[in-house]
Amino acid sequence: MLVGIPLEQSNSTIKPKECATEMSDYLVAVAEARCKRSFARVFNYFAPRLRSYALKQMGNEALAMELVQDTMSNVWQKAHLFNAEKGSPSTWIFTIARNIRFDMLRKLQNRKEDVCSDDLWPVLCEQTADANEAPLDEQVTLEQIGYLFESLPVKQKAVVEAIYIDGKSQQEVADELSIPLGTVKSRTRLALQRLKVMLNDND
Amino acid sequence: MIRFHPSAQQLKDFVEGTLSPAISLMVSAHCDMCEKCQRFVEIETESLAAQMISAANENVDDTSDIAFQFGDMLSQITQLPSLDQDSIEPMATLEYRESMHKSSKAPESSGLKTIELDGRTFTLPRTLHRYIDKTGNWSSLVGKLWQAPVDLGNQGVANFIFMGSDGSVPEHTHRGTEYTLVIDGEFSDGLSRYDTGDFIFMDGEKTHTPKAEGKDGCLVFSIVDQPLHFTSGLARLLNPFSHLFFR
Repeated sequence: MLVGIPLEQSNSTIKPKECATEMSDYLVAVAEARCKRSFARVFNYFAPRLRSYALKQMGNEALAMELVQDTMSNVWQKAHLFNAEKGSPSTWIFTIARNIRFDMLRKLQNRKEDVCSDDLWPVLCEQTADANEAPLDEQVTLEQIGYLFESLPVKQKAVVEAIYIDGKSQQEVADELSIPLGTVKSRTRLALQRLKVMLNDND
Repeated sequence: MIRFHPSAQQLKDFVEGTLSPAISLMVSAHCDMCEKCQRFVEIETESLAAQMISAANENVDDTSDIAFQFGDMLSQITQLPSLDQDSIEPMATLEYRESMHKSSKAPESSGLKTIELDGRTFTLPRTLHRYIDKTGNWSSLVGKLWQAPVDLGNQGVANFIFMGSDGSVPEHTHRGTEYTLVIDGEFSDGLSRYDTGDFIFMDGEKTHTPKAEGKDGCLVFSIVDQPLHFTSGLARLLNPFSHLFFR
């Protein structure tokens, strides 16, 4: 029975505004009645356009067709999520395609478990909840730092302690120790450089 | 009041989906808090959609290979079940479809929207909700500075950083680039004063001294867009400063 669906290519004469209303009605028919004929109209209008867009963006015929297929599959399966009050059919379909392309590119770069399009543009979902615990290991423990810290020259240690442990400003430290601000800065810098060198040597 | 926004180009790239994922995350979270940028994104989305529609100039011949492929594709698609109800999708071969399907169901128990620190609760912008589960423990770094790392997978590590009341950090310079979004509170850095929602981009030889303003402290979300050059063997003590300050 699918053979009977006409493959029309004559939508180009329709004005954008009328077209938006027309496409909007088709999408509603798809959502409410799974109307294949209406979907075919939407498909025939958007699929070639999506393909051109994808070809320009991705420069690859197979990827472009994959994008068209995934986008239009979502339109078919999630037509109920389209809301004409929120935007035109073309904007909705564009955002679906954009999201899929974003995720396709991530996948091509072998990226897993990072930023996904649903987080950025929740076009096709209300909530995203993906429990995934990935604790980060710190390479150096505080004990190590504390140990290295103790080996700093006394004057540098005092400055670093006041700033980093007590949270004082450099000016405050300068005032308390009655030394110029520039000296506080240089001592801090030297101390941090020293710590960094020691940490690198420790590895 | 929000005074610092992403650039128009960044917003455009974001809408197009060409901005890097990590920076997209920052821009998206900023838009959650900023109506002005939200509006800009809406308009830009409409304009790109219109471009997509008008871009197709090549006619598809009914007898061409493409037309045949499209016909084939159409019949495949219309055999897929609707996802309107809790129907099971048999052709969920692609990761994103699975995740979309999963996420279209009722929110799971881990649908947290807030993070806590020292008895205080902070509500995060929508974009960052999913990352609450990927946020490590808070560690007290130095003085009034706290940090919790957020795993972004291959995109690197972002950090929630909390500057306690009047907590300040020594003067420092930047190497590479850093994006900071103010989640709650205010801070100043000798260059400007930043408020909740501000999107701050730091690069090059800028020197600044961040300091929380007000008695409630300031929570920020920070991303470094490239690996630090002294990442290996970095100490907890130096970590916040390397990420935030000593790059």
